[in-house]
Amino acid sequence: MQSNKTKRSKSINLVSMRKSFSVKPLALGIAAIFLTACGDDQDAAVFTSVDDCTNANPEFAAKCKTAYEDAVKEAERTGPKYNSQSDCETEFGNNQCRVVQRDSGSFFMPLMAGYMLSNLMSPRGYYSQPMFTSHSRNSSYRNRWIGADGHDFGDNRRRTMKVSEKSLKPKPTVTKTMSRGGFGSSVRAKSSWGSSSKKGGWGG
Amino acid sequence: MLRVAIPERANWKRKAEEFGFKFHTMHGEAYWDESAYYQFSLEQIEQDLEAPTEDIHKMCLAVVDKVVNSEELLEKFQIPQHFWQQISDSWKNQDPSLYSRLDFAYHGKGPAKLYENNADTPTSLYESGFWQWLWLEEQVNAGKIAKQADQFNSLQEKLVHRLAAIAKHYDISQMHFACCQDTDEDRGTVQYLQDCAKESGLSDDFVFIEDIGLAECGSFSDLQDNKIETLFKLYPWEFMQREEFGQSIKNAQVNWLEPIWKSILSNKALMPMLWKMFPNHPNLLAAYFEDELSKATETKLVKKPIFSREGANISVIENGKTVLHADGPYGEEGFIYQAYYPLPQFGNNHTLIGSWLVNDQAAGISLREDSSPITQDMSRYLPHIIL
Repeated sequence: MQSNKTKRSKSINLVSMRKSFSVKPLALGIAAIFLTACGDDQDAAVFTSVDDCTNANPEFAAKCKTAYEDAVKEAERTGPKYNSQSDCETEFGNNQCRVVQRDSGSFFMPLMAGYMLSNLMSPRGYYSQPMFTSHSRNSSYRNRWIGADGHDFGDNRRRTMKVSEKSLKPKPTVTKTMSRGGFGSSVRAKSSWGSSSKKGGWGG
Repeated sequence: MLRVAIPERANWKRKAEEFGFKFHTMHGEAYWDESAYYQFSLEQIEQDLEAPTEDIHKMCLAVVDKVVNSEELLEKFQIPQHFWQQISDSWKNQDPSLYSRLDFAYHGKGPAKLYENNADTPTSLYESGFWQWLWLEEQVNAGKIAKQADQFNSLQEKLVHRLAAIAKHYDISQMHFACCQDTDEDRGTVQYLQDCAKESGLSDDFVFIEDIGLAECGSFSDLQDNKIETLFKLYPWEFMQREEFGQSIKNAQVNWLEPIWKSILSNKALMPMLWKMFPNHPNLLAAYFEDELSKATETKLVKKPIFSREGANISVIENGKTVLHADGPYGEEGFIYQAYYPLPQFGNNHTLIGSWLVNDQAAGISLREDSSPITQDMSRYLPHIIL
């Protein structure tokens, strides 16, 4: 592998390497709880409006509309919430936030940028969820489809995607995990040994 | 190979905060140290480190191929019998590996000598792939280091590509990542791989090793009860194989990173096997299993546990007497012996070179300094340049 070309990574996207939201939201939305799915990924599509959906699926115009309305409600319920407009705009971009009034007071939320739909044709019923995106240069969400809990669904130029069943199931009530804690006992044993591993890491 | 002093960047701790590098100082002592850097020539990098790294990796794979087919050797490697078939299957299926780090003693000339292969759970990945890259970028922009300076560090680029290739191999679009609780360093390493996975178009989920669940259908699950389909685990195979859920690994049908065949490489028994198969190779040190110690002609040997991390339980033995010893919780599975070969010294510092591989490609180096000849977990990390 001898060569004279540069020997280091050509470029690294520094924005995407930043860890802290420049400003932390009050609430990060509710991360949905899902069933242990032993099944496969599903096809999903993102639409930016009811018309966008209807144009793609003329036979499902009514579903496009109800799914949109569901997503709007879900967006308000679970989307990220900020104390001030400027906090919200730092993350999502100028003019991308709106004020929401509640009994408990007012806060700021990003505008819904689209909604994800899957199983539109299924007799068992479709599933929809709100999508957000950021126009802010300083945000790792810039030009990405982002779910209410901050899940990154990829580049926002993409309109169709495979998503795991878990990102579609909204609120299952059953868990099928039988037991936990079956890994990690060696660490507890070795940690109690004493002072050598001061850091407590188990890499090498 | 030179050690060159340089002023620290004035704002580096704030930068570290911003980028989430939380473990630059551990237990009140510096871990990331940018008061100096190491300088290499391109020749030193390419001929003495890059090429031998890829050669040794090939030799290591030859060892795996031999060991998976021998019950006697699997026993010598202290691998529980329950996993022999799984390891052999994983090797024959060519389950893809992500990365490894070879540790070398190198004096700036002559052959670099292999100390060991961290093939299963290597850390200091973030510092190497990203943080020292950023350091060079900023020191060059500030005019503190020559413009033409380079760095042997294509780690991040290669990790992103490799993760995409692994996703394609398994036909997946999501990966789980796991490490143990209560360690900023391991969490930071895993977060870095999550970032690389995102960059390669994958979605990522995290679960602590201790929180992994066993689901009704035999799958492993995360705390949200999602099935774990593919798991990068910064947790040693030799631990997992001996724990309660070890028996469930086979039925759980997980795409593992690293794959289970790496149990053979992240094992100090690798060292005597390499010496048997490639005797007198310039990059190898003579090494012996405990039961063949009588063959050793060296007067000074290093005794290492078959399983150990961060220099724990290593002793230096001279004419049968222990002259230096590092404590630790390892050693119950036995030891191997390796010819003593000192690290180079720069002032009071003993310097170890970690040479990274992403799959089978050499991808960069990292440097650790320790005040003791045995590099341990409190050694400091220094950046490097090529000039």
